[in-house]
Order: sequence, then structure tokens, then C-alpha cells
Amino acid sequence: MLSSMAIYAFLVLVVYGAALSQTGSQFDILQMSGGMLWALIVFTSLLGLNRSFSYEKEDGCLEGILLVPLDRSVVFLAKATSNFLFLLAVEIVVLPLYYFFFLTTTTPQPTWPLMLIPMLVGTIGIAGIGTLLSTITTSTRGKDVLLAVLFIPLVFPLLYACVSATTVVVAGGDIEGIFRNSVLLAVGYDLVMVLLSWVLYDYAVSA
Amino acid sequence: MEAPAVQLDQLSKVFGDRYALKNVSLELPAGSFLSIFGPNGAGKTTLLRILATLARPTSGTVTVAGISLKDDADAAREQIGLISHNSMLYADLNAEQNLQLYARLYGIENAQERVDEMLDAVELSHRRLDTVRTFSRGMTQRLAIARALLHDPQVVLLDEPYSGLDPHAVEIFDSLLEAVRENRTFVMVSHDLRKGFEACSHALVLARGTKVAFAAKEEIDYDAFAALYHETVGMGVA
Amino acid sequence: MHGRIKIEGKGMTVAKTNKHPIGGLSDKLAQPALLLGALLTALAFVLAFTVASPVVGAKVNGVELIGNEMIGNQILLSQKIFYFHMPVAVVSMVALTGTAFFAIRFLMTRDALYDLKAKICTEIGLVFVICTMISGDLWTRFEWGVWWVWEPRLTTYLILTLMVIAYFILRAAVDEPERRATYASVFSLIMYVDVPISFFITRLIPSSVHPVIMRSDSGMSPDMLAPLMCALFGFCLIVFGLYRFRARTELIAVRVEAAKDTLDE
Repeated sequence: MLSSMAIYAFLVLVVYGAALSQTGSQFDILQMSGGMLWALIVFTSLLGLNRSFSYEKEDGCLEGILLVPLDRSVVFLAKATSNFLFLLAVEIVVLPLYYFFFLTTTTPQPTWPLMLIPMLVGTIGIAGIGTLLSTITTSTRGKDVLLAVLFIPLVFPLLYACVSATTVVVAGGDIEGIFRNSVLLAVGYDLVMVLLSWVLYDYAVSA
Repeated sequence: MEAPAVQLDQLSKVFGDRYALKNVSLELPAGSFLSIFGPNGAGKTTLLRILATLARPTSGTVTVAGISLKDDADAAREQIGLISHNSMLYADLNAEQNLQLYARLYGIENAQERVDEMLDAVELSHRRLDTVRTFSRGMTQRLAIARALLHDPQVVLLDEPYSGLDPHAVEIFDSLLEAVRENRTFVMVSHDLRKGFEACSHALVLARGTKVAFAAKEEIDYDAFAALYHETVGMGVA
Repeated sequence: MHGRIKIEGKGMTVAKTNKHPIGGLSDKLAQPALLLGALLTALAFVLAFTVASPVVGAKVNGVELIGNEMIGNQILLSQKIFYFHMPVAVVSMVALTGTAFFAIRFLMTRDALYDLKAKICTEIGLVFVICTMISGDLWTRFEWGVWWVWEPRLTTYLILTLMVIAYFILRAAVDEPERRATYASVFSLIMYVDVPISFFITRLIPSSVHPVIMRSDSGMSPDMLAPLMCALFGFCLIVFGLYRFRARTELIAVRVEAAKDTLDE
């Protein structure tokens, strides 16, 4: 799963290459880099989340796990953590590639390492919400599309906050204000969504 | 006298206006083997899923091994093993890893010892390091038995365990069941009337979610039973 | 009639535990509520064009300066959309609050009829959500001169729209009734998180161009408030009426099915 996610992410980068090939020299890639990076993360995580329960579904392993005297929220935390680690691993591979292909011609602001904060916060949220939603969609018809339909609107606020935080530290701007507010917004959304997913997980997984 | 292994009291499962089970009550003594018969949609699988704590009843109480499922589902899960037509094994892990995973989830002490013991019992020790994907249907089912009995449950639930097994595998499966039968209570759902009847000590017939008949085997005349089954179920006897 | 169906001719009475009465007080009120709601919104429509400032029968030729602002006919008319846009947006959120309430009730009781009610609320919510999107979009076009901006209020409301649509896609994708109801309830609860966000975001992010309406110093004169309140209460009554009508129809359908089953046995 890790390798197919990484290759998919790489292919999205290649598509970006074609999409941006005619932009010319006037184009400020730094202003767009945060958005492009997060689009990449969202699409790659969709691929991963779609398959996150494929091993459990194959021979009814999820039922096997539900038979064990074990709190359902433990199942949620375990699955969310593993999704989080997978996403993190892919991001570690993709980030240098992204820099290599698109940003070597420019100089990001010296504050760029701060982008790791929204990255971490965003990935936690994606893993949390994604775990609940992939549990729901894994036993439905047309699950791949359905996950995207449910997942993208739900992570939108998080995506919005992470893009603005990332763009500010890479392209420059009001770090004090925009960066802090965006990260706070993302953390708040994470807290609400992950807690709610955790509480509701029992219902979703035993349905 | 020992407490009944499985006790159902006015058990109903209803969603909307569709009754999956309607006021089913019965008591099953410890050590017995219950076969549940009935046509498709009679509520057999629903009943088994409720016993396995995978579904919640709408009303009524269920006690397994003296533990009320409502009060302490986790304690009851310690006493329940389920063998279904799904193996519940990870196809990409090997036999030993699969059992070790479940042993750890169940919090079994001396997990390695127990895993070895179970692998021996189902005669899969020689294939312990092969992934389950390479196993035949019969071998997978044997490993599924090992998985279900890993935590030494008192009540074993069988959901169509014969589906997909060739006659030879069925024989091995039967002899394995016979070997582990001591001190355990079994509840089986099967489409195969003759097979289910041979194995059982008690029989339950469900139709449209209601209990049509429940009796100990010695009280039942097979031919009369088959005729009743034929009548209520409305299909031929295999 | 309450809680009992008598099936004549068979001499049977099916008693049901009844948490979902049909034909009670709220059903009796549904019809007048719908009528009154229609009257009030019609009244609001008339008031908005006759009483409410800034135009009391005034006409602007081309562009003129009113209160230090350049105002054209277009903008005067677009302002009228507001009297419907804002109430419709508020009642869409009211309907979705109903969904969340019944979703919680469903998860607590596992009673299929609560899920039915949640679904009806979402259906009504969808109607008003779409009305809000259309009226809001027209307003943006005339007021701001663009069809769409990625502005916080618009964006959060757009994703709310998408999620309400997703709710029905999710329902259609699950076959087994109990599972469908559970998934829909779980999803509607996480979807509901967006409702307060969308409602309060114009306050949280002051840079937002979208005006904040619900505040004590909204600067609205009584003649503007009158049509707004008429429309708001009118739409609330319409939501209530629609909900009860739909609920009654569906509940009766469920009972008919139950009665049929009983007769079959």
C-alpha cells in the first residue's frame, strides 16, 4: 500500500509538471506551492484510506477483531494511528521530490521549516476523519467514489487552514497573525472532528 | 444443576416493522449441541450474530455462559468463539502470525505455547510459516477453528461452517469438532438438514423470526422432523 | 386512533408502543402552519418591495449618490433578495438541526422511525439549502459583481451543500436498512459540525465580505426588519408544515405495511 501511494503521489507531481508547463516566467510558484502540496496530500490520502480496510474486509477479519473483548475506540485509535503513519511516510518521500521538481528555481522564505506544523496537524485530522469514513464506506456500493464524496467536504476547512498556514511560511507574509490563526483553526477542527469520530466509531464499526 | 450455557428470554430483533426475530426464548444446557434450521431469512444468522455480540437485540435478554450480553459484553466475548464461512484470517500473514495476533488481542498468557498447541491440534504445524493465501479451503478452515478456540471459549458458534468444503475436508472438520467437543457448548447454523441433525443434541427450527420447534434430539423422530421441516420451510430436504 | 390500528373484519387489534403519533396536535397544526407560512412569506415579499428602505417607491436613473454611496437600480433590486436569502439560509440550518436531533435519537434507540424523521428533515434541509445557494448566488452577482468568490461564508455553506447531497448518496449506497440508518446518522452528526461553523464564521473572521446580519446593532430600520421577520417566521412555519406532512405520509405508509404483514400471517 505504501509503495502504491508513493507512486501515485509521484504521478500527481508529473501531472502538475504538465499543468504548469505553460505558465511562463511571470508565475509565482511559491504562492501556489502550499495549495498544490495539499492537493497532492488529499488525493494521495484518499487512495490510502480507500484501501485501509481492504485487508480486514477480505476474509471478515474485522468481525474477528470485533469478537475480541476489546473496546471499539481502541480499534479506532489503532487504525487511525496506522493511517497516520502511512500518510506521514508518504509525505516524507514526497516533500523532497516536490521541492526538487518545482521549487529549486526559487528561494522559499527562511521560515519554511514551520510548514511541518500544519503538515502534522493536517495529517492527524485526515487520518482521524478518514478512518471513520473509510469504515463506513468499506461496506457500501461504489465505495471509492463515495469516500471522496464524503471525505473532501469534511476535510475542506482543515485543508483551507493548512494551505493558508503553509503558504504563509513558504512564500512570506504575516506569520504572527495568519500562520498562528490558521494553525489554531486546524488544531480546533482536528480536536472536534477526531473526538467526534472517536465517539461515533462504535456505531459505525458495529453496524 | 449447572447454569444453562445459552439462555434466550423473549429475544426480539426488529428494525422498522421487519422482525428478524420475534420473542424467541430457549434454554440450552451446557455441553449440548444446538442446530438451528430454517429457510433463508428465518433469522438464523441474526440469532447467531446476536449470540456472537456482533448485533444488538431490540428487546429481550441473552445470557451466554451465565453472562448477560447486555451487562458485560466483553466478559461474554471471552467465552465465545465463532467459526464462520469467512476465515477471519489475514491472507497475507502466515498461520503462526495470524494466531499470535489473535492471541495477543485476547491477552492470552504464554501466547507462543498456546499457538503451538493449537497448530498441533489442527495438524498445521508443518505449514506454520506459509501465508494463509497459499492454503486450501480446508486448511484455512482448520486454522479458523484454531483461531476460534485459541482463548478456550465455552460456547462455540458455527455459521455455515461446511460451505465451500470438499467431502474430505468435511470429514476432517467433523473429527476436529468431535475432538474439541468436550465441556463446550455448540450452536450451529446449517442448510444441511441431515448433517445438522446428526451432530446435534438439540434442534431449533425458525421460520420468519419465530420459534417453530425446539426439542432435544431423543424426543425427535427424524422422519417426522424432516416432514415438519419440509412443511414449515417449504423446501425439499437434502 | 392514537397508537392503535384496528383491522376490521379480522377481529384483530394491533397494539403498538407509540412514540410516533399520527394525527396528533402537531398534525392538526401542520396545515394552518403551512398556510400561515405561505401568507407571511407573501406578505414579506410585498413589504420588501413597498415598505422597506432604501427604496420607497424611489427610482434611480442610472447611478446616483445616496448616503455617500454610488447606488444603481441593480443594487437596489438586489438588496431585495436579502429578505429571502437570509431567512431561507436560517431555516435550512433549522432543518439540519432537526436531522442532527433525530440522528442522536436514532443512535440511542435504534428506532427506524427516528431515522425516517432524520431523513425527512434532511430532505427539507436540501430544498432550502439549494434555495439559499441560488438566492445567494444571484445576490453575489449583483452586489459584488461576480458569480462566486471563495469567501469563508460562501465556502463553508458550499461544503454544507455538498455534504447534504453526500448524505443522500450515502443512503443510496447502502442496502441493509439498519446499517443504512446507522451510517446516515453518524454522517449527519459529523456533517452538522459545519452548521455552526458556517453560521458563526462571519463573526470569527472579520475580514469576511459577507455581512453579519444577526446582531443587535444590525443597523436595520423597523421597515426593513418587518419583511425580514415575516419571511423568517413564514419560512419556519413552512418547514414545520412540510415536515409534519411528509412525516405523516411516511408514518402512515409504514403502518399500512405493518398492517399488510399482519394480515398475511
